[in-house]
Amino acid sequence: MSENEPTKDSETAKPIQGVPNPTYEWMGLTNEWGIRVKPGEHGLRLGDLNVGIYGEVPERWEDQTRRPRGALPRPGIPPLPYSLRSKHEVWADCAVNLYEEAIQRRWIPATEVPWDLLAELPEDVERSVCQICTELSQCANTELEIITYWQDQMSYGYFEVKQYLATATFDCARHLEVLRKRALSNGGGLGIESRGRVNRMILESSGGWTEAAVYLYLLRGTYLTRLLVGLLEYAHNDAESYIYSHMLEDHARHLTYGYDHLKYAATHYKGGPAIMLTLLAIGEGMFAAEIEDPVVKSAMAIIFGGGIEGGRTFGMERYLLLIREFLQDYLELCGWLGVDREETLHPKLKQYLEI
Amino acid sequence: MAVFPSEQWFGEVREVYNSDTSLHSGGGGACDSKAGLGIGDKYYKIEFAGLECANVGVCSESDLSEADFIIEMPMDAWVTMIKDVQGNGKASSNQTLNSLDLDHEDGIARSPIDDQYRQDLFYRYNQNFQDFFNASSRVTTTF
Amino acid sequence: MSEAIDMQEQHELDTSWMEKMGEWGAKATPGKRGLTLDDIKVGSYGDLPKDSDNMTGRPRGATARPDAYRVGAYSVHTLSEIWLENAEFLYEEALQRQWSSATDIPWHTLKPLPDAVEEAECLLCTFFNEVEFVAGDVPARWIAKTTPDYLEARNVLSAQVMDEARHMDVFRKRALANGGGLMRMSGATSGFIGSIDLARDFTEMSTRLHISGEGAVLTMFRMGELFGQNEAEKTMYRLCAQDEARHVAFGVMHLRFMGATAPERCEEIECYLDEAEDQLLAGQQNPAGTQSETSEALAILLGGGVEQYDEGHRKLLVIRRRQLKEYMKRVISAGFSTRFENGRSPIPAAYASTN
Repeated sequence: MSENEPTKDSETAKPIQGVPNPTYEWMGLTNEWGIRVKPGEHGLRLGDLNVGIYGEVPERWEDQTRRPRGALPRPGIPPLPYSLRSKHEVWADCAVNLYEEAIQRRWIPATEVPWDLLAELPEDVERSVCQICTELSQCANTELEIITYWQDQMSYGYFEVKQYLATATFDCARHLEVLRKRALSNGGGLGIESRGRVNRMILESSGGWTEAAVYLYLLRGTYLTRLLVGLLEYAHNDAESYIYSHMLEDHARHLTYGYDHLKYAATHYKGGPAIMLTLLAIGEGMFAAEIEDPVVKSAMAIIFGGGIEGGRTFGMERYLLLIREFLQDYLELCGWLGVDREETLHPKLKQYLEI
Repeated sequence: MAVFPSEQWFGEVREVYNSDTSLHSGGGGACDSKAGLGIGDKYYKIEFAGLECANVGVCSESDLSEADFIIEMPMDAWVTMIKDVQGNGKASSNQTLNSLDLDHEDGIARSPIDDQYRQDLFYRYNQNFQDFFNASSRVTTTF
Repeated sequence: MSEAIDMQEQHELDTSWMEKMGEWGAKATPGKRGLTLDDIKVGSYGDLPKDSDNMTGRPRGATARPDAYRVGAYSVHTLSEIWLENAEFLYEEALQRQWSSATDIPWHTLKPLPDAVEEAECLLCTFFNEVEFVAGDVPARWIAKTTPDYLEARNVLSAQVMDEARHMDVFRKRALANGGGLMRMSGATSGFIGSIDLARDFTEMSTRLHISGEGAVLTMFRMGELFGQNEAEKTMYRLCAQDEARHVAFGVMHLRFMGATAPERCEEIECYLDEAEDQLLAGQQNPAGTQSETSEALAILLGGGVEQYDEGHRKLLVIRRRQLKEYMKRVISAGFSTRFENGRSPIPAAYASTN
């Protein structure tokens, strides 16, 4: 037997008074032995472990227990309600690397945001920033709730995705925290809540995680990217710059996973693109109605315009440009996914491209 | 050259610990704790605030009634630990605070009010306290 | 910007929302710990509803809108069900004390071990990998069910989800980094009555997970410094122990709050503790429990090899003793000391028998 092969030593166990005889039944029970993954220049990363059978990610994981992928099963274990057991329902190749990236790029709002650099803003601008913080908080809350709802239902055959989503959960918690802190630290307060059309649409995606991802990442997430880019561009001080730039980094990771997953689903599940088209046809209408809501629109215009006066001219034009840019991104992504929306974009969204 | 244990010695360790963030290992981080050190028949109060050791000073045992926990060992055990740190640059695996706590039947960390929640702070902030004592490898010490 | 902005165009801005925002003038200031969640509990923003009627997912203190959609079927909506006095503190601590299994573990210190020792370590890592699945899945599920009015407690749970992902990752890494592999799953974490998974009440879940399960595992992680064979393993267990101590702290403080604010539920909680103690003594989810595979593996590790099994087993009994003692003290700290005085709990007798 080679040096690295497991041994069965039960015949050498000695009975000692008061010490139960070990059975060592577990020895030798392994699917694959002799694995010796070494750390690379970035340390020992999760993706490095995908060697031999441990790296085999099946298209369907029937196991409804918490068996770690590659571990031997044990008979008689009752199943758990993991409903997402097909790879196309959750997978993204990038998840494993995004997990490590999220850990390396962690940040701490309490001590890293230069809160002392917040300065008094004109009241209309402060109110607008606080309102946007409130709105983004609800977006983060929705993302947190939908991720944690589905995370629990994903089987462990695709643990890389679950682990990545754990980082996204943590990111959302951090966003909730930092947005609340910004709203309550500069003489302002929280705003009025979001009407929540799109939040509801995301949370009511009960068909599956992919369906939720269409709304969360492709539709709303792409818009949020432009929103955060705009906020960063017009940040009033280093504290806000820090907040928005770090939220954008986290958000970019979320979208990388989201887009990659949708691509996988679209290319590995025959009915996927058609379902996405249906969802988008409905979702675009909801989204169009949401962005017509005057609250976010005017708040962003005021931020861009430096006040109500500027908001009426430059600010609103800048916001409308933001919407156009979002739609261009969105249409390009849809094309990349194979769910082309160019011709069938909801008319209420199309009008923004025609302004 | 500072004598262990003394306020001077702890002050020098504190300065080393606070001034070199490379001594603050992964899994450490901000720590807010008021703990006690029982070294033979002497007591010290040690306070961490955020990323720094804010203060270490001599005190009486009764001064530690509000401490989160007290790490208490006979003098010779402390000396063995510090000599190990001095000799190796950091505590060997059987001379870490955690190992010493595990090796003693009742542990070396106790809550002065026998509250396990407070005593668990020794586990929660273990890395900071360990990093602090590891920093003593750079303090020339006599006993 | 990709397009020129039309400065001439005048837009109407609906700013009526500015009159409807939440309490205004909040100016939380950073303390010596930075700007923490505790610092922003200013004015009415610090008020915690005893019973939350937030059905729209709005941030606590944001103004409700009459036309907002109801999205929250939050089953956890009373303070006593989830709160703990130091939630803000635990969350901020969690953010500060994150670590990376890729780069903070000195993996290069792993050296080949005798076969039986490597197998024992790999069995333990397989077990911990499996157990941490529960500890990651279950808090996530409860986040989605909890009203956002209790943001601070939810954020602590989000941090736990992140911690557990890291634990899953580090144990899988250890199992595959030193010439071994994953072994057979334990099955201890599956769906049968009394398991953490199936709890239908948050406090029930927390009692089983945080106080009983994680309390036992905390002792094991701390013991890792004794049975770890190299710096990598000792560091791994030590860092996991820190995280685990935070999770246990959540459980103790929540139970303390529950007991003080909902005394009518104390007898119910005692029943959960009865069940948790049966589990602790039966040992299926306790690797240091009697008659379990993991306890054999631990004895090998503690002894340093199969030949020293009996010595290792003696050390294991010391671990069990410590687990039981610390469990009792945590439950006492949580305000449920009577059960150890009136004979209800079997733990004192079990503790005495380990002497």
